[in-house]
Amino acid sequence: MNIPRPLRRLLPASVSASLLRLAAAFLGLFALALTLSPAVRQRSLLPLAELRWAHWLGVAVWVLALFWLDRRTREKLPNRDPFIIPVAGLLAGWGLLTIWRLTFEFGLRQTAWLAVSCALFVAALRYRERILPTLRRYKYVWLLAGLLITALTFFFGTNPSGIGPDLWLGCCGLYFQPSELLKLLLIIYLSAYLADRQPLMSGLLPLLAPTAVMTGAVLLLLMVQRDLGTAWVFIFIYTILIYIAAGKRRVLLASALVLVLAMIAGYELVGLVHARIDSWLNPWLDPTNRSYQIVQALMAIAAGGLFGRGPGMGSPGFVPVAHSDFIYTSIVEETGLLGAIALLSLIAFLVVRALRISLHARDAYQRYLAIGLAAYISSQSLLIIGGNIRMLPLTGVTLPFVSYGGSSMLISFFALLLLTLVSHDGVHRSAPMLNSKPTLIIAGLLLGAFALAALITGWWGVVRGPDLLTRPDNARRGQSDRYVWRGALLDMELQLLSSTTGGAGQYTRAYVQSSLGNILGYSHAQFGQSGLEDGLDPILRGEERQPAWGLWLSHILYGQPSPGLDVQLSLDTQLTLHSLQALQGQRGALVLMDASTGEVRAMASQPGFSAATLSQEWPALLSNQDSPLMNRAVQGAYAPAGILGPWLLAAARSQSVLPEPSGETSYTLNERTLECSRQPDAARDWDALVQAACPGALAQLGLALGETGLLDLYNALGLYSTPAVPLTQPSFSAPASLPRPGEAATGQAGMRVTLLQMARVAATLSNGGLLPEAQLALAVKDANGEWHPYAEVAEPKAVLSSVAAFSLAQKLAASDQPIWEMEAYARGDNDQRYAWYLAGSLSRGNQAPHVVVVLLEGGTTAQARSIGREVLLSALGE
Amino acid sequence: MADLTAYILLGLRALMAVALYGFLAWCFLTLWRELNQQASNLARQRVPALLITQEAGGEQLRFATPEVTLGRHPSCEWMLNDDTVSSRHARLVFHHDHWWLEDLGSRNGTFLNGDALRAPVVLTNQDRIRCGQVSFALQIEALPQTTQAQELP
Repeated sequence: MNIPRPLRRLLPASVSASLLRLAAAFLGLFALALTLSPAVRQRSLLPLAELRWAHWLGVAVWVLALFWLDRRTREKLPNRDPFIIPVAGLLAGWGLLTIWRLTFEFGLRQTAWLAVSCALFVAALRYRERILPTLRRYKYVWLLAGLLITALTFFFGTNPSGIGPDLWLGCCGLYFQPSELLKLLLIIYLSAYLADRQPLMSGLLPLLAPTAVMTGAVLLLLMVQRDLGTAWVFIFIYTILIYIAAGKRRVLLASALVLVLAMIAGYELVGLVHARIDSWLNPWLDPTNRSYQIVQALMAIAAGGLFGRGPGMGSPGFVPVAHSDFIYTSIVEETGLLGAIALLSLIAFLVVRALRISLHARDAYQRYLAIGLAAYISSQSLLIIGGNIRMLPLTGVTLPFVSYGGSSMLISFFALLLLTLVSHDGVHRSAPMLNSKPTLIIAGLLLGAFALAALITGWWGVVRGPDLLTRPDNARRGQSDRYVWRGALLDMELQLLSSTTGGAGQYTRAYVQSSLGNILGYSHAQFGQSGLEDGLDPILRGEERQPAWGLWLSHILYGQPSPGLDVQLSLDTQLTLHSLQALQGQRGALVLMDASTGEVRAMASQPGFSAATLSQEWPALLSNQDSPLMNRAVQGAYAPAGILGPWLLAAARSQSVLPEPSGETSYTLNERTLECSRQPDAARDWDALVQAACPGALAQLGLALGETGLLDLYNALGLYSTPAVPLTQPSFSAPASLPRPGEAATGQAGMRVTLLQMARVAATLSNGGLLPEAQLALAVKDANGEWHPYAEVAEPKAVLSSVAAFSLAQKLAASDQPIWEMEAYARGDNDQRYAWYLAGSLSRGNQAPHVVVVLLEGGTTAQARSIGREVLLSALGE
Repeated sequence: MADLTAYILLGLRALMAVALYGFLAWCFLTLWRELNQQASNLARQRVPALLITQEAGGEQLRFATPEVTLGRHPSCEWMLNDDTVSSRHARLVFHHDHWWLEDLGSRNGTFLNGDALRAPVVLTNQDRIRCGQVSFALQIEALPQTTQAQELP
């Protein structure tokens, strides 16, 4: 033999015992990791009592049961296939530990079922000679008995979980699902029948007629019971057996056709099927309701990624019925794509061994039996795994050996017993085979399907993973927020605005300045993030601005991001609270900006809300007509109307295109007459008309500037770009053309601006014509406690000459204060009136220049002026 | 210090992956070994020699290969120069511990002990074969000792 010497020494005397030892090593490591996991999750040393210990009971029972079972099988059936028991045992153990990890009580029950299954297996070995012939002889009795028991569920059926179809029989905490047994009985019946007919086989019809009747009866029963997953498994098993017996490829095609037609008919006629197929095709349309399970399952797979979170480190419990229907996603979340490939390989290996056993079977009956069992294991595994990863519509069947469930476990071990018996019988004399091609085709198809399942798991886990994990309905984010420190938000003087309290596992967000809800935002497990908490989320959460290796290490060690970083904002808490107070009772917003740096000193929006009482007020906040959740300072887009007049005038002057005023003050736009915001001064010169925000004069200026002049001006003023602050804002872009510059210049022909944009525009008058970048986040404190700038800030751009800015500001100067001011009314879409107020400091020595923008929905310019002045003057220390 | 548990857990996870993939690798290693063994068993498997005597003429040939084709074509193991024989007429194959006779779609048919052949048939010692109008007598030599394919423990 050509086996290299070192390898040969590794090969043991008994393959199955060595494989079982390896499986036990895997499960032992798994259990140990599970024990330590609570300490790692909380990133602290825990007393031993707080670690997980209960699942070791499962490991102990597994070791005793499986080694005993293997030993007795080796004694009684020395020629059996040595692979299938260790592989099935590993699958059962993996499932068992996953169930322990999910729910203590289910773990306990599953351990008991494992012990019972193994004990029955060993007990049945005593009748090893008689089992297969007896099953064959009374095939009709078995099948009819199975049908009868299943039919009993019509009258005495219950559901242990309380909801869903009543498919179980039993009482007093012990339940059995007859349709699980029915699957094996159908396989036995079909194998026996087909083997008896084999010599007379001449066409499909005699083969099909009685089996189709029996299978049809079974299917009808299941359809009525709405146990569609099991029905699908039956069709699959039936198709494969008939195909193997008849050797005609048209059997496969016909069956595929029937399945597709049944699916279409079911989609049109049966509500349940309709819902299942809808949520399969379009899960993203309804992720909170019908598609909740599948969307949560995909997120669990995404959370697993390549290597998984580690045993006990994920949150597979977020997926409903994780222990039975969705055990695959639970396993993938904690062991990743690596685990998924291993799991699929194990199942595929088991199926291939079963097919090999069938090829080596002693007679046709045993051959069909082994193929039927291979079809049962593979179809059920593929159906439920495919349903978990959106490869197929979701059907509620169990994953053989792995899923929680006593009936499933018993039947899986019964199937294992039959396979073991067939493999022992067939070793020395295998029956001749007329046509081995169907078996090979089936093997190829099944292996291809398992490979496809692995690929799709990789697609969701690795390729689409990042998208899925950042979805707001992924509860894992909220979960990891409880375990990972979230960075604090600080004002310009490093006073706390929002912070984190509590210990690992109980971290909660503390809103120190809770009244600034619509500016600072919230970070909530249920409602997600908003405001600056949202815009700065990657930094606060520790996913950005971290050393790459630290981030990677944190993910691989804890499956969580690193502790979050603190962010310093440009806000002045006193001025911000003052602004909020000044706006009290209004619907509107205010922005106060340092005109030289563009730093936002105060931002307020009313009505607002308190982030601290979000949970209680959430429904009221959502239904409130005044939209308190909205930050009007950056999210509200308003028509600028005449407030931009001074800049139009300055542009026309600097380009020397200023005509004589026509004297026209009003302007008719869309059959609506727009009037001046106030009566212009008697002089009626350009300055007077612009200060009164007269639409007629603005239109004349627009025509004088022309299309390109106007576009260039708006562009230079930053009205076509979104300010670079970490807040959700409407997006702006320059239009291709402004065909009617006169109309556009009135500022009421569809153009919209935000308060933050207007604050930058206003800053030019107090800052010698320079337009600063808006800044809201200033610095980030790294893990070593050092502050780094939040972002590179572009130099201010010159929009006006300093002379023009100075003279414009002087023209707008207030009579009683060292400030300039400008106000105007605008009309909204629904004819609602907005009051704009812009003001800024006149340059005075070395004091920092400030500007303020106020907008009131439905208020007067006088009110806006009073609010704006109050805030601006207190910022200037007047 | 708290990180230590995390590193231990990471180590455990790495070992878990090793055990899991070790399990799979072991499965495949054993499979490969089984395949190897089967291949060498097949290579060692001996075919009982076939002694074929043409009844007209008494020409006799002995074959120890597992496959013998009869026909007019020069590539056949036994080339027959007879008009009633097709170019590739019939085949004798050894498998499943027996010599089998199958017709290769000949024009004039293959006959075993006078009966026309429809499906492959197992041959026994002293059987008589007829291809078209050419008849043969068969003798199958006994093997000194058949080697049974060894199975894994």
